[in-house]
Amino acid sequence: MGKIFDWIDSRFGVKEPHKRFLQRPVPSNVNYSYCLGGMAFTYFLILAFTGLLLSIYYVPSEKEAFKSVVAITNEVTLGWLVRSLHKWSANLFIIFTILHTIRVFVYKAYRPPRELNWMAGVLGFVIAMASGFTGYLLPWDQKAYWATEVGTSMFGTVPLIGDYLMYAVRGGLDINGTTLIRFYSFHVLYLPVSMAVILWAHFHMVKKQGIAGGL
Amino acid sequence: MKRRDFLKRAIKVFFSILAVAILSALVYIYPSKIKNRKLHYMYLMDEDDLPRKGVRKIEFEYKLEDRTITNRVFVVAGNDVLTAFSPVCTHLGCLVNWDNNKKEFLCPCHGGKYNMNGEVIAGPPPKPLTRLPLEIKDGKVYVGIKV
Repeated sequence: MGKIFDWIDSRFGVKEPHKRFLQRPVPSNVNYSYCLGGMAFTYFLILAFTGLLLSIYYVPSEKEAFKSVVAITNEVTLGWLVRSLHKWSANLFIIFTILHTIRVFVYKAYRPPRELNWMAGVLGFVIAMASGFTGYLLPWDQKAYWATEVGTSMFGTVPLIGDYLMYAVRGGLDINGTTLIRFYSFHVLYLPVSMAVILWAHFHMVKKQGIAGGL
Repeated sequence: MKRRDFLKRAIKVFFSILAVAILSALVYIYPSKIKNRKLHYMYLMDEDDLPRKGVRKIEFEYKLEDRTITNRVFVVAGNDVLTAFSPVCTHLGCLVNWDNNKKEFLCPCHGGKYNMNGEVIAGPPPKPLTRLPLEIKDGKVYVGIKV
C-alpha cells in the first residue's frame, strides 16, 4: 500500500492481525441477498454522519426545539438535505434491518454456532427501534408529541410496575421539556454507543464463524 | 492470601460496585418531583351559559408553575343530569372529539368510540371516559381536575 499507510502501519500494526480476514476469499455460494446487512450498516453510517451534523444546530429545549428544526430546514445551508437524509435513512435502516433478518431466517443462518449472533442482531434491532421512537419526539411538533403520548402510555400498561416505568420514561407525570431532553440524550448518546458495541460484536462473530452456507 | 484468591475477590468487589452504580443510575433517572396531584376546582363558565341539552366542549385556562395551561372538558347535559368528561381517551391518552352527527366521542388515534354517557361503544379503550366533578357556586360553574 501507499507510503503514508505503510509508515503508520509499521508503527500502529493494524494490517498484520487483519490479514486473515482481508485476504480471505468470499464464498462462492453467496448472492446479492447477503448484502442486505451491509446495506443496513451503510444507512447506519449515514445516520451517524448526518446526526452529528444535525446536533450542531438542534436545540433540545422545550421552547427552542421546534424553532431550531424549522431553522435547520429553511435557513441552514443544506440543512434541508441533511435533515431529509437523516429521516429517510432512518426509515431505510429499519427496512433493511428487517430484510436482513428475513434473509438470515430463510437461510437458517441462526443455527449453531450462530445463535449468539442472532441474539446480538435482535438486540441491535431493539436499539434501532428505540432510536426511531426517541428520534420521533425531537421535532417537537404535534405529531411528535402525540406519538410519544401514545408510546409512553403503552409503558403504563405493563402489569404492576407500569406507572413507575411510564414516569421514568417521561421524566415526570406528563410529557414536557424533561422528556424531550432525556429522549435527546438517549437518541444521541446511549443508543448510538450501545449500537456501535453491538455492531462490533455482530461483525466480530461473522468474521469468526464465517458466512453460513446457502439453503 | 494467595494472589489468585485476591484477584477473585477483587473481581467480585468490582462487579458489586458496578451493580450498585447501575441501581443508583436507575434511581437517578426516576423523576424526583412525582407528587400526588390534588383536586383543584377551576372556573369553567357561568351557569347561564350551560348547554340545556347536548354536548359542549369548553376550554379553560389555569396557571401552573408560571405557565398558562389550556385544558378542555366536555360538558354533557342530559335529562336533568349534568356531567363533565375528561377528553383524555382511556386507551393511550389522545384527546377525543365529539361528533355531533353520529352522537359519539371519537378518538383520532386508534378509533375508540364512546357514547354520550362516556361508555365505550367501539374500539380499544378499556374504560369509560373519566368523569370530572362539577361544582356550581354563586351562578358559576367549576370543574375539578387533578393538578
